[in-house]
Amino acid sequence: MSAVTAPRNPTLRKAHEFRSEAQPIWCPGCGDYGVLNCLTQAFAILELQPHDIAMISGIGCSSRLPAYTKCYGFHGVHGRALPFATGLKLARPDLEVVVVGGDGDGYSIGGNHFMHACRRDLDMLYLVMDNRVYGMTKGQPSPTTEGDWDSQIAPGGTQLRTFNPLAVALAAGANFVARGYAGDPIGLTDLIVEGMRWRGFALLEVLSPCVTFRPEEIHWKERAHRRTKTVAKDRATAIADTLTEDELSLGVFFRGEEVLSGAEVRPNISLSEIESQFAI
Amino acid sequence: MTRASISVVFAGSGGAGAMTAGAILLNAAARCGYYGVMTQLFGAQVRGGESAALIQLSIDPVDAQPDTYDVFVALDWEKIEQFAPEIPLNEKSIVFAAKDGGKAAPSVVKSRARISEMEMTDPGMTLLERALRGKRVNIFAAGLIGALVGLNEGSLWEALNETLGHKKPDVVAGNKKALAAGIHMAKQQQENFRLASTRQDKRWLITGNQAIALGTLRGGVRFVGCYPITPATDLVEWLAPVLQKLGGKLVLGEDELASINMVLGASFGGVPAMTVTSGPGLSLMVETIGLAVAAEVPVVLINVMRGGPSTGIPSKTEQSDVNLAVYGGHGDAPRIVIAPMSVADCIFTGEWAVYIAEAYQTPVIVLSDQLLGQAQQVIDLGAERPKPAQRRTDGGDPKLFKRYALGADPISPMTLPGTPDFAWVGDGLTHNEMGVPVSSASAHAAQMQKRARKITQFNPGKFWGEVWGEGETAIVTFGSSIAPAREAAKRLAAEGHSVRVIGLRVISPLPAEALKEALKGVRRIFVLEQNLGAQLYHYLLGAKGVPLDAESIARTGPLPFRPAEIAAHLI
Repeated sequence: MSAVTAPRNPTLRKAHEFRSEAQPIWCPGCGDYGVLNCLTQAFAILELQPHDIAMISGIGCSSRLPAYTKCYGFHGVHGRALPFATGLKLARPDLEVVVVGGDGDGYSIGGNHFMHACRRDLDMLYLVMDNRVYGMTKGQPSPTTEGDWDSQIAPGGTQLRTFNPLAVALAAGANFVARGYAGDPIGLTDLIVEGMRWRGFALLEVLSPCVTFRPEEIHWKERAHRRTKTVAKDRATAIADTLTEDELSLGVFFRGEEVLSGAEVRPNISLSEIESQFAI
Repeated sequence: MTRASISVVFAGSGGAGAMTAGAILLNAAARCGYYGVMTQLFGAQVRGGESAALIQLSIDPVDAQPDTYDVFVALDWEKIEQFAPEIPLNEKSIVFAAKDGGKAAPSVVKSRARISEMEMTDPGMTLLERALRGKRVNIFAAGLIGALVGLNEGSLWEALNETLGHKKPDVVAGNKKALAAGIHMAKQQQENFRLASTRQDKRWLITGNQAIALGTLRGGVRFVGCYPITPATDLVEWLAPVLQKLGGKLVLGEDELASINMVLGASFGGVPAMTVTSGPGLSLMVETIGLAVAAEVPVVLINVMRGGPSTGIPSKTEQSDVNLAVYGGHGDAPRIVIAPMSVADCIFTGEWAVYIAEAYQTPVIVLSDQLLGQAQQVIDLGAERPKPAQRRTDGGDPKLFKRYALGADPISPMTLPGTPDFAWVGDGLTHNEMGVPVSSASAHAAQMQKRARKITQFNPGKFWGEVWGEGETAIVTFGSSIAPAREAAKRLAAEGHSVRVIGLRVISPLPAEALKEALKGVRRIFVLEQNLGAQLYHYLLGAKGVPLDAESIARTGPLPFRPAEIAAHLI
């Protein structure tokens, strides 16, 4: 495997140095602005350089985020950010891989990859900006939308149960599972830092209100709260916590086992030795 | 009296060991200096279906299927009628059958082939051994035919050891007895199939799937993301342990969507990467092929074609993914499509695919098929190798760096993540030279033209394809149809009709100039392919690669083209 052997720049970066000049397409008041700020804060706290980081995303409002940073990044097709990040991390374990996206991208079209990324447990942060709506296509219900939420495309609501990403992630084997809120910058920055430091797959579900299509989410401000319960040590209790606590409780729900960094795979055979098996 | 070639079929119900018998015979023949090829015919069942090993041995290089088979060995008759029509026999064929193998298949009887029944087992076996271990009819048959063909005993023993020597000692001992019994039985036969003696040059025995895998390794592929699919799985199964030893990685994706995106991710990271699939998998991957085109990410896709559409015939061959490979996806998404011309050429094509993908920052689709992929063949060594080419990763002056720069050269620098001062974000959205999403008409047109220019700039040189023979009649074809076309041309030439065969290694972009040159002096053109819709024919007509009066020979798979069938079209 090739790796870039660039000397690390010892200069510490400030948060704004991770921001690009590109203007976000997000609506005024969108929660994603807060998430972007917290991410760049976290990068600075972690003493990273922009080129150390690869920001990977799919499609949706929040998936536009990589272009707003000065990091390397890839804005791929809808729902496939996690497999892209999987390939990248396996090929380049030296990179800090951060995957960002929304609830539709991650839990609907990318739902299968979500489960399997939890199982693979590669060292990356998966930050989902959950606004419980498809914003870019102007207001359709997503898997986390309440079943009775009325919309043009689903009059009277979908009547479906909401998807619980934390419980699913835990059932699929994720070892770091947490929920943050875009309106709680200090708490969210802490969670991003912890998620990035975590060795293994870290799911960070972030409540990120869509003021345009879900204006009622403005009231998350009053209702979101830090969780007080001790972080569960066993998976079953953690799953129970995610199912019983209200959907606006913030903090870490589970810290399982971290992944021990595997030794770099080195070639121990030459291609001509492999070819010799065909000689007759 | 000796002969130059012989064709042999081992057939039976699944588990009877037809493939093993074929592998032993081919391996032993290769050791004696003969050329040979074995193709496989399977039913759909994993166990207990029908299976047949189709083998041709010759003193000359051989890769086409014969019109009819000389020798047919029925290990048992149980399932043979299910595919006997796919194995043509005639009154000159001889059939060896186990005495207690059941009633001869009606279509074999109808072919008027001579049927010779015999006890196909080691006569020294006890009843208990027969019951517990089976009678090893297949090993017996390999010994019988190997000896009748005139292979020296030593090579048969070596072939047995290489094929089954790793089994438990009692199994190995039983196999040895069965082989010896087969060789002994040959001495009591009147038949004589002895092949003429030949030279023992250094050669390889390799399958098409292994050959492509090897080629891509030579090209530098060190990451593979894939999902199991017939008939491509054996390629990946050969590759997985090998890649591990080479320090690379192979990941089994949760589906084809994941696999192709993993490959893109690894490639974005700077590691030459590929996926391996078949039609249904390629269908799922087309959205991401478009992404790879738009974001200009090198990626190799090996597509081992099978009967389609939908689930089709998973285990059998067809050349029906030409349209999908060339055009699959929405929008204008030009990519490069190449196809190996033989089992041996799979090595070249695999290696070349990686260099092209890397140098042009584009998806390269390699169209193989079940017939080529699962054929095991004796090949000569010393074929020319493609010239290595690499990705352009030097960003130049960081202040001037533009990932998608529009310049005289449409290939712009693709710096690797981790390189300071050269960060960029790849995007499937229409973007400007910096990679920033924009939706202006001018940026859209400029970037589309940049990508198109990259592909039209691709010049395969002499590797575009190959021309065999001359004459005013030409067959234009690709992949596994080249071999029977060449065989047909050879026979017609012997009868005084000269026919030239033009094999396309590069399908898209069409090497129009080279094809025009190859067609000089031709009055009648046939485009030969194994799909009902005449996909290659229409593609060539559309690209003006062949004139409007060109004719089409197109039919569905899975039956491979026979030389006689092609010859019949031409005269």
